[in-house]
Parts: sequence; structure tokens; C-alpha cells
Amino acid sequence: MADKKKISDLLLNNAMFIIIALAVIYISVKVPAFLGLPSIVNVLSLTAAKLPIALGIGGCIVLTGTDISAGRVVGLTACISASLLTTAFKVFPEMTSAPPILVVFLMVLVVGAVVGFVNGFSVAKFKLHPFIVTLSTQLIVYGIILMYLKNGTNNGQTLSGLTEGYRSLITGTLFKIGNVAVPMYVLYSAILTVIMWVVWNKTTFGKNMFAVGSNEEAANVSGVNVSRTIIMVFMLAGIMYAITGFLDGARIASANANTGLNYECDAIAACVIGGVSFVGGIGRISGIVIGVLLLQIIFAGLNFLSVDANMLYIIKGLIILIACAIDMRKYLVRK
Amino acid sequence: MAQPEQKEEQQPKPLRGLYDRVNISVKTLNIIIVVLCAILIACMAFGISNRGYDVTFDTLGGTSVESQIRMYGELVEAPAAPSREGYEFEGWYLDEGLTRPWNLGQDTITGSITLYAGWKEK
Amino acid sequence: MGANLEKQETPASAGDKSVLLRMEGICKSFPGVKALDNVSLTVRAGTVHALMGENGAGKSTLMKCLFGVYNKDSGHIYLEGQEVNFKTSKEALENGVAMVHQELNQALKRNVMDNMWLGRFPKISKWCPLTSESKMYEATKKVFEELEVNVDPKTVMSRMPVSQRQMVEIAKAVSFNSKVIVFDEPTSSLTEEEVEHLFRIINMLRSRGCGIIYISHKMEEILRISDDVTIMRDGQWVATRPAKELSMNEIIKLMVGRELTNRYPEKDNVPGETLLEVKGMSAAYSVLDDVSFVAKKGEVLGIAGLDGSGRTELLENIFGVATRKSGEIYLHGKKVANRNPRESLANKFALLTEERRATGIFGIRDIQANTTISSLKRYMNGPLLSDAKMSKATEWGINAMRTKTPSQRTQIRSLSGGNQQKVILARWLLTEPEVLLLDEPTRGIDVGAKYEIYQLILDLAKQGKTVIMVSSEMPELLGVCDRILVMSGGKLAGEVDAKTTTQEEIMTLAAKYV
Repeated sequence: MADKKKISDLLLNNAMFIIIALAVIYISVKVPAFLGLPSIVNVLSLTAAKLPIALGIGGCIVLTGTDISAGRVVGLTACISASLLTTAFKVFPEMTSAPPILVVFLMVLVVGAVVGFVNGFSVAKFKLHPFIVTLSTQLIVYGIILMYLKNGTNNGQTLSGLTEGYRSLITGTLFKIGNVAVPMYVLYSAILTVIMWVVWNKTTFGKNMFAVGSNEEAANVSGVNVSRTIIMVFMLAGIMYAITGFLDGARIASANANTGLNYECDAIAACVIGGVSFVGGIGRISGIVIGVLLLQIIFAGLNFLSVDANMLYIIKGLIILIACAIDMRKYLVRK
Repeated sequence: MAQPEQKEEQQPKPLRGLYDRVNISVKTLNIIIVVLCAILIACMAFGISNRGYDVTFDTLGGTSVESQIRMYGELVEAPAAPSREGYEFEGWYLDEGLTRPWNLGQDTITGSITLYAGWKEK
Repeated sequence: MGANLEKQETPASAGDKSVLLRMEGICKSFPGVKALDNVSLTVRAGTVHALMGENGAGKSTLMKCLFGVYNKDSGHIYLEGQEVNFKTSKEALENGVAMVHQELNQALKRNVMDNMWLGRFPKISKWCPLTSESKMYEATKKVFEELEVNVDPKTVMSRMPVSQRQMVEIAKAVSFNSKVIVFDEPTSSLTEEEVEHLFRIINMLRSRGCGIIYISHKMEEILRISDDVTIMRDGQWVATRPAKELSMNEIIKLMVGRELTNRYPEKDNVPGETLLEVKGMSAAYSVLDDVSFVAKKGEVLGIAGLDGSGRTELLENIFGVATRKSGEIYLHGKKVANRNPRESLANKFALLTEERRATGIFGIRDIQANTTISSLKRYMNGPLLSDAKMSKATEWGINAMRTKTPSQRTQIRSLSGGNQQKVILARWLLTEPEVLLLDEPTRGIDVGAKYEIYQLILDLAKQGKTVIMVSSEMPELLGVCDRILVMSGGKLAGEVDAKTTTQEEIMTLAAKYV
């Protein structure tokens, strides 16, 4: 009896992983190329591309919050990068040569941090639910993207024609496995992951973040600066989105108003699958990496099977719901 | 001997966070998880059984071209070139702005796409 | 266990009145804890049955099993001979089993009658599904008259004192025509006069033939009002006796399972020169009004008073958790601001909060995280935290406090209340405070662990720290403190020497400004 209960517990708590495993097995039987080297490298690069944003959102979820402005911030920063590091200068017609890449990168970081600060400040000081705050910043940022793209002679069109330096810095070959090139941004993502691991586990800021996430009142009494911690978590998240945007501009080789759309959904889903719980104060970097990887595997697989993109939205939504239900199940009070 | 009775200690208390007010039993939640998983699998099965990406052609004023259904990694089958009065057809593009050309012999399908016809005035 | 043998006894007076409620062999386990072990309880019609036991003895758990808040693992509950198994407290109410909770769960922004009839608002008529204010008003009025409660049914709850809100709760239970009414610590927030009133109501209910389960710690009350007394200890049934046959000492003996000698460690701390001086402390948003006092190095200063007398507020104002209206704090004769907890921490203050779960522990974090959170800066290795330093500090905390835990990586919520308290105490000691503010440090902790906490407090005083300790348990204050400040209605009512004072003197002072 007890064993049976244990087994069903195990099955339910890992339902997500089981479904993904089954799907992967099915896909690789149906399309053996899915397990081929190009496909694996593809999944790996996609994971690397989506990892920074998930690392950022992970912190917000640890604070029992969330951030739905993430995708739009990615879009804005991608547009800024693509408009400046280009040969066409449609947004700024009076410019003649692209500014140094580092300058643009830092600019983009500042933009992300500012949006993060607005989010964090409103959450920390007005005690608004992060969902409401980030919903408004999401809209504001979207408006800014649209207006930005109207600037100059661009008239809202997709930005492309990026400079060679920008593209090669990000999509250039890191190394080759057999014949398949691994792009540079995989390395950048790996570095970011290490940095975030250190921040989460080895700094007072990280410890304070977990403390605030698990019990804000107690954290305050224990001498943690709760407001500052919340603001910093959101700013750090904003910076991570900005990096995602900077990478994405060059990765996709273009940027428009829809760049980054719904990225936050993937990121939140990845975090929840990876065990960053909405209960607050729980989460690991390794979990987030695994979550992003699993999601990219399943989507790449479905892509291989030529499953319609519209259906993918439904599947994504369901995955988030199931992940939340399973997460809830783990921490629910048993009566 | 007045001791204010406290909440008894050994009992697990609800945690804080977003699940603070969750009012559902584990049993119900189990059923929900199983049902959701079933729906997810059904959706995947449905998606797989209806597989294929739509390739539609927008001729931007020229004669219409029939759309195609292709699988992942396949090439687009070269359609008969459309015609338009006063213009000459010069190829297919990925965007309306005609900045990213589509190479029929080389580019493979990774999702549903719409190709736009490029025209040159005669 | 001896308890199981004794169980065969029936109360001497059983049989002369019909049995209303019978709970038999109730068991309930939580992960790692057996909260109830084969507990039985029989309530006869027209009697008051007192349920007693130390904190954590399982009284509340037993009641929660009755009301379906918890599912019992095994056992049977019979109401008037019929087996019942309530799933919710609503179902219990509909079957005539009501409970007056210690913690009032009321809609404070609504008025009295809305609260009384919540969930069963009377309709204007069978055909008109709108709620009838006038019917509700009349019905409420009728119940109040019956119970001699002098409250306008249209008063908004939040404007009434806790004692009146308690009366509303009691009236609500009565209005259900309940056969069994459970009172959980009903007198903890009542004045003496109100207690008399409550007892009149209880006597009335008893003469009507209701069965009453009365949970309380106050022995005088229990011996006065109850017919039978059931005593529980560590989740087990210990004894059920007629109240007439019991004395206070016997009850304590049964509750604790041993004689209550040596409840407090030997006091050997020596107060030195003045360390802390508080002048004219008033709170901006709570009752605290112009409190001044001094505390000496190596002294344990007690703060007594009723609930709501401003004890907790005083500590919160000193530590900067609450907003201060006026007041100055001097440490070593130097003025300190303590505007927020971080500043207070830097000024070497520490505050152990009253609500351990709400404002003390980080439940899902491990012992190490809970221990080190307030002193993280000390474990830096360059810009990063050193795991080795943190686990060393935690190890010190566990050893110094004699915390019982499987490892540093154990989640704190799986520890018992006493061990959780020790972890938090260790957290504060690692900040090397000079002034320790302890708010109800032994609340919800079993007797053995209490002794250890007292020992720790005295050890700290001996090391030259100043300990300021708020407690509702007067014997504890008398046993541990050097001096005791008595608060009343937000003001300082007096200061007494713990060696020479009596509980009566403290109680008189505590009622000074009520």
C-alpha cells in the first residue's frame, strides 16, 4: 500500500519528465536525424540562446514573483543593437558608422537595468504584485519598440544588415564538432550561467534573495534590506534580458517588433520545470539549465515532426500548467 | 498559570508564496495533473498526425500561386513563376520589404512561411 | 503505556447523563510525528468537559479531527450514538457541533450581523432570494438578548474590542442551536468581568443540555466551571476525572508527567552598570505611550503585561521594526537611532520575534541559511561567501544551543518549535549583540526545551549581555528575570524586583491603565 503510494507519487511528481522522455523517444524513432549531430548542436545553441532570460526570471520567481515584461525587453534591446550595429542606419539616418560594439552592449545593459529598476521599485515600494507591474512595463516597452522602429526612415520595418563584427562576435564559430559549427554565444551563455551560479550561491545578495523569497517579514527583522534586494533581483533580471536581446539580434540576423515575443513564457515554464518553485525561496541554477534544455528538446523535436506552430502554443501553455500543478503538488499541505 | 495556547508545533503549516491560498486537495490535484497530461499528449498526437508546414505565396498583385505543405527540412517545390502586367518576376523573398531572398534550391523549411514575389518594372 | 490501562476507567459520574459526543481511539500522524495516539473523549449532555494539556499535547489536533480540518487516520466519532465523520467545519456546524476559536476569523470590515449569518443569510421570503437585513437584525438581537450581550448588531467588527468580538463568535455558535460547543481558550483576551459573563453563558448552555468542551490553560477557571477534566500529554490520553476530585497540583502533575520542581535554572548572573537607556518611547501607529527605562549589563529584564498592553510594540520600537513617534535610545550613554532593523543590527541589538513562523524562520531554507542570514558579512572571502566559514558558524550555533537536528542542511520547518527557536537564537548570537530583545522566547515550546532556553538566557546575561524578555507566563518572568517592567494600556505601569514581587502585584499593575 505504502509502496504503491510512493510509486504513484514518483510518477506524478515526475510526470513532466516522463512525458518529455516519451516524446523524445517517439521522435527519434520516427525521425532518426533528430539524434544526429547537427540536431543536437542546434538544440544546444537554442538552449544557450534562451538561457540568460530564464536565469533572470528565475530570480523573480524565487521572490514568489514573476516577470512578464521579459520578452519585450529582449525585443527592445535586440532592436537597439540591430539599429546601431548595422550598415544601413535606417533608424538614425544621420549616422554614418556603427559605434563600438562594447558601447552598444553597455547601452543595452543600461536599458535592461532601467526597466528592471522600474519593475523592482514598484514591487518593493508599492507592494504591487509583480504580475501587474510587469504587465504595465511590458506594454510600455512594446510601445517604445514600435515608436523606436518608426524613427528615421525605417517606418516600422524589420532591421537587418548587421555589421560583420557584431555577427561574427556572436554567431562566429566557437569550435567545430565534426562538420558542425558551435556558435560563440554558447560560450557566452555558459559564462553567464557560471556568474549567476556564483551570484545565487556565493554572495550575500543571493542569500538575501532566497531569504526574502521564503519569508519577507523574517528577512526584514533579520536585518536584510528587503527593498534593495527586490530591486536588485529585478535589475539583474533586466540585465539578463538585455543580454538575451543583444545575442538574439545577431543570432536571428534581424530584429523587429515581434522579436522576443513570448520568450518569458518559455523562460517561466523552464524555471518551473527546473524546480524553481512559486512557493518562493527555492531554486537552483542547475534546475533552470535543465528546464531550458528539456523545453528546447521537446520543441525542437516537435519542429522536426513539422508540428504546426499554432499547436505549439497550446502545448506550451499546457506544459506551463502541468509544471505549476506538479510544483504545487510537491508543496501542498497534506491533510 | 496562564499560558496562552499557541498553534501546535508539529503540524505542517501552509507555506507562503503564491500557493498561500491554494485551496485544493492533493487528490483533486492528482486528477488534474493526470487529465492535463492526457490533454498534452492528445495535443502532441494531434499535432503529429496533422504534420506539415504551410508555404504560402503572396504575389503582391501578380497571378496567384497555389500554396504547398512541406515537411521539416524539405525544399520548397519551385512553383510556376507568376506574372504581372508591366513587371518582370525576379524571385521569392521572405519579407515584404524584399530584403531577404529565398533560394529555392538551397533553403530548407523550418516552419510555416509566406514567400513574397519580387517584381522589376519592365 | 500506563495510559492505555487507565483508559478503561470511566468517569465516576458517567451514566447519569446521556452521552452526547464520543470520540474513540483517534489516531493522527504527521510526517515524523504521531500527533494523536489512540485518544478517546466522551462528552455528556449538560456538562462542561475541560480538555487540558501542555502546548503540543494534541488538544487542537483532536478538535481539528472532530471538525474535519484534518482527516483522522483511525478511530470513530459518535454524535448522539450515530457515527459521524465531518468533512468540513460547515458540515459539523449543520450537525450541531460548533467551535469558538481562540484566533478569531472574522470579516472585520463587515458588521456584527453579517458575521453572525455569514454563509446562511436569511432570505426575504421563499420566493425572493434577496437577503433580508431586518430579519437578520431581529434574529441577531434575539440571540444577543438571550445571552445578555449588549452590542448593536450593526456595529462594524473592527470598531469593537477583541472581547466583544469574542462574544459575537460565541453568540454565533449558540445561534446554530449547537448541541456541542467547543471553546478554545475563550478567556485569553477577556477581562475578569467578561469572564464572569462568559461563565454565565456557559452555565446557561449547560442547563439547556448542551455538551461543552472547554480548552484552557487556566486551572482556576477549569476547576470552577467544568464537570469533567480530560488531560492529554504528548498526543496521548492520560486521564479523565471529575473536576471535583482534582486539585491544581494533580492536574499539573498529570499534564507534565512529573513534579514541577527545578523548572528554572539557578540564577547566577550579576547585573553591572547601565548599558541601555530608553527615554519617552512612543509609537506612531500603536498603543505604546511614553515608556522610559534603563537596562543594565548582564541583566535579564522582564516585561510583563496583558495581551495588547504594548509589550511587543515596545521591543519593535526599540528595534526599529515599527514606526516611532518619539523617543530616544542610549547605548553606553551614546544616542543610537535604530531607524530600521539594519541599523539596530549594526548597533548590536537583536530581536527574537513573537511570531516565530511569520517573522522568524525561513521555513523552506536549511539550518545553515537560517543561522547565517543576519551575519553574512562575516563569512566573506573577498567578494564571495565562504561555505567553510558558514558551516563552521552554523556548527557553533548547533553545538552552543544544543539544537537537535540531523544536519545543517535540514529544512528548519521539519524541526520542533524549541529547536527552531534555538536556531534563531543562534542566528542572533552570531551577530554578537549587546542587547537581546526576546519576545515570548518560550512560546509554543515544550517544557524540557524551555528549561534549556532559560539556561541559555542566563548564560548570555552572565557573558555581560543585556537580555530584555517579554513573556505572558508570569512564573517564567519571576524565575528568570532580575527586574520586571509591567506594561498596561501602552504605558509603563511599574517596575518590580523579581525576587520580592508576587504574581498578584504584577497582575494589579498590569490592570492599572486597562
